[in-house]
Amino acid sequence: MSFLKVLFRNLISGPSTDPFPFGETFTPKALRGRVVYDASKCTSCRTCEQVCIGGAIRFDNTPDGRRFLLWHDTCTFCGLCVFYCPQDALEMTTDWHLSHTQDEKFKMVEHGLMPKAACAACGAEYVAVAPTAKAFAGYEPTPEEVEELRQYCPRCRRKEAAKIAAAHPPAIAADPDTPEQGQS
Amino acid sequence: MSLIRTLSSRSPWLYRINAGSCNGCDVELATTACIPRYDVERLGCQYCGSPRHADIVLITGPLTARVKDKVLRLFSEIPDPKVTVAVGICPISGGIFRDSYAVCGPIDQYLPVDVNVPGCPPRPQAILEGVAKAIEIWKSRL
Repeated sequence: MSFLKVLFRNLISGPSTDPFPFGETFTPKALRGRVVYDASKCTSCRTCEQVCIGGAIRFDNTPDGRRFLLWHDTCTFCGLCVFYCPQDALEMTTDWHLSHTQDEKFKMVEHGLMPKAACAACGAEYVAVAPTAKAFAGYEPTPEEVEELRQYCPRCRRKEAAKIAAAHPPAIAADPDTPEQGQS
Repeated sequence: MSLIRTLSSRSPWLYRINAGSCNGCDVELATTACIPRYDVERLGCQYCGSPRHADIVLITGPLTARVKDKVLRLFSEIPDPKVTVAVGICPISGGIFRDSYAVCGPIDQYLPVDVNVPGCPPRPQAILEGVAKAIEIWKSRL
């Protein structure tokens, strides 16, 4: 008679079949789906290109600037690029709606462009990538300071970064574990 | 004739070709078909054992050199009209096996592919979405 119990339970709980594609389905929060890229945060260190297993990520130089390409059709969604990105320029979304017809095959690409610009100090042409975290060693920069450094070419950027850093009070406090000099 | 067309558009039969896959996508295909939660048979689809009964072909794997001739022979045995679905990134682009000496793919150099379902492996819902797209193409070809 135990089947009656199952029958009754099934009447209450309804079908266990997922309604997709006729209705909504569930998506786990931690699902690794389409990777999105934010060119404004990227420093063009190319770590993501190095660690990409599927060879999906590529950087190339165009007349407009440096271009980032990620082809979803060879991305394994392993998440290594997101893990290793020091700037959090890459992010995994939970979007798994990636099936497409053959004519869209080479359009399944995540694009990003770091445009060329003229240096605000010396006027030389350079690729305006975001400043690295190294430029702000020892303190937390404001968004304005990050944007200011972006206007300079790599050569001028060091000088300007030093100027900005000099304006900040030294953020690294004295280590309490080290004995003070003259006491030992 | 129109009756047959109406009826057959509601029941495309699926056929699965493993072109040197790692079995990951095949497990997802089995999940899509066999587990009541995903149940591809709601779309009227059914897996068949013979290529001569097939309407929609699901191909997994990067087309290794060893299976290339067998896959092409098998594909030529499937009667027209047929719809080809590449499941996983391996048949679409070669995936992580691209540029290997043992891999002849991507598969669209040899076969006419209609729908691509990227993923490594794609989740069952993504495969269902791809099959739904393939059914739309299948209806237009009848």
